[in-house]
Amino acid sequence: MEALLDFAQGPLFRLTFAIMILGLLRILILDIVGMVEAYRKAGDKSIPWGLTISRTLEWLFPVKRILNHRPIYSIISILFHIGLIITPIFLFAHVRLWEQGVGFGWWTLSPQVADTLTITTIVFGLLLFLGRVGVSRARALSRPQDYLWPVLLIIPFISGYLCANMGVSPAVYQASMLVHVLSGELIFVALPFTKIAHCVLMPFSQLVSVLAWKFPARVDEDVATTLDKKGAPV
Amino acid sequence: MRTTRITEEERAKAFAPTRKPEVTERQQLDVRYHVEDFAVEDRPRRFLEAFAAILRHSNYRFALDHFIRMSAKCSRCSTQCQVYQATGDPEDIPCKRSELLLSVYRRHFTLAGSVRGRILGTGHLTDEKIQEMAESFWNCTACRRCSMECPVGIDHALITHLGRYILSEIGIAPRALVVSTREQLEGKTGNTSAVPVPALVDTLEFLEEDMEEEKHVAIKFPIDKEGAEFVFFPAVSDFLMEAESLMGIAAVFTATGDSWTIGTGYFDGINYGLFYSDRILERVVTKVSDETKRLKGEKVLIGECGHASRSAKYFLPVHCGGKDALPVYNIMEYTYQAWKAGKLKLQPNAIPERVTYHDPCNIARQKWILEQPRELLKAICADYVEMTPNREDNICCGGGGGTVSIDEIRPYRTAVGGKAKADQIRATGAKYIVAPCANCKKQLRELVEDQGIDAEIVGLHDLLYKAIIFPDHMIQPAVPADAEDEDNPAAEPVKPDSAGSADE
Ligand code: SF4
Repeated sequence: MEALLDFAQGPLFRLTFAIMILGLLRILILDIVGMVEAYRKAGDKSIPWGLTISRTLEWLFPVKRILNHRPIYSIISILFHIGLIITPIFLFAHVRLWEQGVGFGWWTLSPQVADTLTITTIVFGLLLFLGRVGVSRARALSRPQDYLWPVLLIIPFISGYLCANMGVSPAVYQASMLVHVLSGELIFVALPFTKIAHCVLMPFSQLVSVLAWKFPARVDEDVATTLDKKGAPV
Repeated sequence: MRTTRITEEERAKAFAPTRKPEVTERQQLDVRYHVEDFAVEDRPRRFLEAFAAILRHSNYRFALDHFIRMSAKCSRCSTQCQVYQATGDPEDIPCKRSELLLSVYRRHFTLAGSVRGRILGTGHLTDEKIQEMAESFWNCTACRRCSMECPVGIDHALITHLGRYILSEIGIAPRALVVSTREQLEGKTGNTSAVPVPALVDTLEFLEEDMEEEKHVAIKFPIDKEGAEFVFFPAVSDFLMEAESLMGIAAVFTATGDSWTIGTGYFDGINYGLFYSDRILERVVTKVSDETKRLKGEKVLIGECGHASRSAKYFLPVHCGGKDALPVYNIMEYTYQAWKAGKLKLQPNAIPERVTYHDPCNIARQKWILEQPRELLKAICADYVEMTPNREDNICCGGGGGTVSIDEIRPYRTAVGGKAKADQIRATGAKYIVAPCANCKKQLRELVEDQGIDAEIVGLHDLLYKAIIFPDHMIQPAVPADAEDEDNPAAEPVKPDSAGSADE
């Protein structure tokens, strides 16, 4: 078990973390290249920056939006996201590992705050899962990954909480640490290839839509020629 | 704003078949709008070819890539769609509608999707999927409310727009739109309502006489006047159905004295390309630009019409010169500016009845024109009320996206598409619903009729016409009292002094 844990915390961590970073970089670059290309081809290059940026910010920090529609679901979802992002990045135990590994650390959460966030993330994650299962319109849309993600995402929180707070026996500690690390690594690997890609693409969505409506100039003939319809009646 | 589900009875009516079974059989297509006959065999292959050609020459690809990576399937968009709220059918959830096309894209145009599809032998495009798309994409009114409320920013309306475009390339598009467009681009009259130029001129002369009688002012529709500041393109159907809006617009120009003209070379603002084909969109918008240039006009002026305004405003720059393209204005912008500049005087409280304003989606969603009509209405109405929600969050009339022109689906439009709007209108208790859009006007009239609402649908300029105060020097001497007593005062029209100097 110990050897396995060492492996998971060492080489496997480095590998999966690298996959995540490279995977996210890849889609980020593809996205940006796509936008630049579309802008280059666009017949009209005027972009309503004000509206685009304000709508982007409205969704990155959706305070204004939450109460309009489905307020309870929205609040749950937002609090879930906050815990999900903040806790792992600013957890004292994680930052210390970084310090040991790369030589620098950063600001950390107090243990009480970290614990609270962990619990809320677990609870809200479960609620999101139940919402998905229980609401028919959500079920109608859901793919397997939509059910799996909330569950997968809270596993490291549950196991992490166990390790940090319960006076458990060393064997149980090691087992839950292993679950913690492996589930985290599974998340790293899956993240760039699933809907969680929105963690890096989110800021561009509004701009993408604006650019997509900026068609290239005069392509009627090109499309018609490609389709062998040149001069064909309407 | 939520609306309730339709009753089973309404559902049966709204979704009743409109086509003969033998046509459905022959075309192997079960939809409620009429479609001209098209090649039935090998549809999936031809759909994919059209999709590929469009992707190759257009800008859609990067957006589709972005959307398939982002789609979180949270179902929040379902709170926005008036169609889904009325039917309760999961197939009408915007995200589900989009998935129809996104799944084709993923399977056939991305590496991961096609590898997986091939290994599993699943997911390829079938006739059934084309059937689903043909139905679903035309159940949507392209109002874009769902796009505004998608937390990860998926533009469902863009996807529907593209889906309709691809379908049209294999021959599946509502006949009503195709036939009108054919007349507009290839027919003798060159407009969607097939109005010949002599009939246009006659109509305008008739309206001029009418106005002179009513207002004792020589209000003109200048035709083919070169070098005018504005060249005017209303939805051509206005010449047949919205005389009062046109009269209001002519009256505004008469009062302000600014120059404008209607060109006999081309005078139709309607652009169904926005609803079903980017190629058509391009060709129509080019005609608008060309006619304005022919007349050496400075600006394109679109009448009271949402989609005509949006297609000119946003796509004329795309196809006709980018930042060097002719500037495009909507008539409400012009009238508002003239009023603000003091060139137009309006009578306060000219309209005593309760009035409300309907935002056309194509004008409001992008926050283009929101306050101008409201300020104008408040200036002339004694009792102006808002609908909720309004402005960029407005609810569609239920006939958007070209569906209003498809007469055979009227029961669907007024029972399903327009249900939320009907609730909204009822809640205001307004007598006049001001809808500055040819499509919204037609749909709303049918809606209030079918839903039994006692309200009248008018344009903004219909009401302004009643409230314009003309400068004294424009008003002709009063008609002798005995002439006014006659039943038909039109028998002795008074010629204005300035008639001789009117433009040729
Ligand atoms: S564009 Fe409007 S009608 Fe179409 S799916 Fe979205 S909300 Fe519904």
